[in-house]
Amino acid sequence: MQPVDTVNQVFTAIQRVKTNATAFCTNFFPVPQKVQSWIDHGELFCEHGSEAAFFFRKDRDFWRIYFCATNIGELQRELVDLPDVKIKPVVMDLIEREAASDSLLPTMESIGFRFYTRLRRLARPGSPALQPLFSGGLQPVYAGNEDVQTVSAMLNVSFDHYAEQLPALYEIEAAISNRQILMIKHAQKLAGLLFFETQGLASAIRYWVVAEKFRTLRYGSALMRAYFAAHAAIQRFNLWVIADNQPAITRYQHYGYASDKLVDHVLVNEVSGA
Amino acid sequence: MKTVTEVLKEIRPEFDFAASKDFIADGMLDSFDVLTLVATLDKIFGISIQGVDIVPENFKNLETIGALLRKNGVQP
Repeated sequence: MQPVDTVNQVFTAIQRVKTNATAFCTNFFPVPQKVQSWIDHGELFCEHGSEAAFFFRKDRDFWRIYFCATNIGELQRELVDLPDVKIKPVVMDLIEREAASDSLLPTMESIGFRFYTRLRRLARPGSPALQPLFSGGLQPVYAGNEDVQTVSAMLNVSFDHYAEQLPALYEIEAAISNRQILMIKHAQKLAGLLFFETQGLASAIRYWVVAEKFRTLRYGSALMRAYFAAHAAIQRFNLWVIADNQPAITRYQHYGYASDKLVDHVLVNEVSGA
Repeated sequence: MKTVTEVLKEIRPEFDFAASKDFIADGMLDSFDVLTLVATLDKIFGISIQGVDIVPENFKNLETIGALLRKNGVQP
């Protein structure tokens, strides 16, 4: 496994595979700026086979694997021989249309990856903004630099490390500097937050959570309303949610979100112990 | 045969693609949408868009997508 030094290396490797492809398959949809950030933080490594390219990104105490291959058979053959997959905890995301007939899930399960959980994408069109709701006089505010550690702590206890792409501290710092984290504090303590990413006319909620002891105080609603009020010009909202987290899905449906038929199968290898 | 605008509208019906000069910067297409678009264009026009060409610059607007199709021998 070699460290990746440039974004170009990634795209060149993909191109090499695609040139020979008979039925190109991939779980990698690289965004140059994000790849550059992973490289800058020493997180991205690669392994080249003859018919496939594999990228590993370090995430806490495990690795996320991305692949591209000339066809499913070659992917299967080269993946099963990868030494790192035999000794390191590895997590794989497969983003597909719901009930896709060409799903890669059975192939991955046949070579030792195990289904861990599934995420579902929900989306809603833009619409007239909800009016902000100030709960008990507490108004959501944008997180500041002093909140990095508490935001990280709340995300780490509230979300799944393998499935929900939890941000590193440097990503939280960047989000704070870009005003992407709304929060409510109750008696100086972080009671809830809504972490989002906005790009042009689209905005995605990455995390929305209220600490358990504050859940009757309508802080979640206040955060959501503040988010929509700040995004009146947005035409598409989306988010990923764990597919069997029905309480969360019900809350999102209340705000107009519905499935857009895209799913993310999260798989783990045996070494992960998950 | 479908036009590029019709294909885009099928992928993201909520957006007015004709009004944008940069679909990526405007958040109208994400990286998964781009891959869906590539697969659809490959299928409709019988081409194979090269991996090296699957970069945001080639999917910024109708003109750049048109140029990419022309590079692949298609007159959009």
